[in-house]
Amino acid sequence: MRTLALYVAAGIVYVAIGVAIPDFLYASTVAAVYLVVAVWGIPELVRRQRAR
Amino acid sequence: MSWAAHDLEPYVFQRKLGIGVAIVPLLIGSYSPDILTKWFVYGIDVFGVHLQASDPAQFHRGWPGVGFTHSLLFGVALAWLVYLLTKSKVWAVSFLLGNWAHDVSDIGDTLGTMLLFPFSTHLVSLGAWAYAGQTGRLTDAAAYFSGFGGIWDAFWLVCALLSWRVLTSDYFRKVILPADPVVMGRLMRRYPEDLVLVLYRAMFFYGFARLVAWMIWAHIVHDYPFDLSWGGPHWVEAAGR
Repeated sequence: MRTLALYVAAGIVYVAIGVAIPDFLYASTVAAVYLVVAVWGIPELVRRQRAR
Repeated sequence: MSWAAHDLEPYVFQRKLGIGVAIVPLLIGSYSPDILTKWFVYGIDVFGVHLQASDPAQFHRGWPGVGFTHSLLFGVALAWLVYLLTKSKVWAVSFLLGNWAHDVSDIGDTLGTMLLFPFSTHLVSLGAWAYAGQTGRLTDAAAYFSGFGGIWDAFWLVCALLSWRVLTSDYFRKVILPADPVVMGRLMRRYPEDLVLVLYRAMFFYGFARLVAWMIWAHIVHDYPFDLSWGGPHWVEAAGR
């Protein structure tokens, strides 16, 4: 459920950015990098910060 | 041309065909007809110089032009090359399936594709939605998501959502990894599983999210009218109509 919530949140932000800046929507590579950062990178950073 | 359909079809095929296909070559195959040429259809500015085909529709789908990239035989040739490079039948078949899905999806627009090239330069077209690539990428997007093109993408989104199990970590471990030791296996040896899983899901996310974003952009932020008549929307100048 937490994972799904992360993807949904990432999707809402992606759509908001894309609607404001349509160029953001054209590249699949941008979407892949965005998703990795939003769904894996940021939670991983937070996890490491908490572990310290 | 189609938009989110090219992102979502591979996941639906993956769900239906299971371990017999691999997602990475399915996706590469699905993007392959346009991957090197689309920028020249829409045009780009490089150091103040605008680069664009003088006749974008002819360039994209015709001959002379690069329309052969949307032919069935070109897909076979590329799949053969994939087989020579990878020695993997799964990769070659998956690539071909993705490539052909793209070629066949694109016959839905008013311009169509040269499916039977080099035996024929006839553009096979159902004419269901307007081909508007020559109008620029924003108008093209607005037109596509105002006509049957948007319905076509929505159809594939529904199919993909019905195939939701393909996105689970359990399916990833039982089907995706064994089906593709070439790429997925290597990625798993180098990176954490949760990162590889995110990458695996990325194009599904992209297809879903960009479909929603374009719909909002075209019909809420802007006021492009829906036109679900055959070959529509008719407010845009469509090639091949």
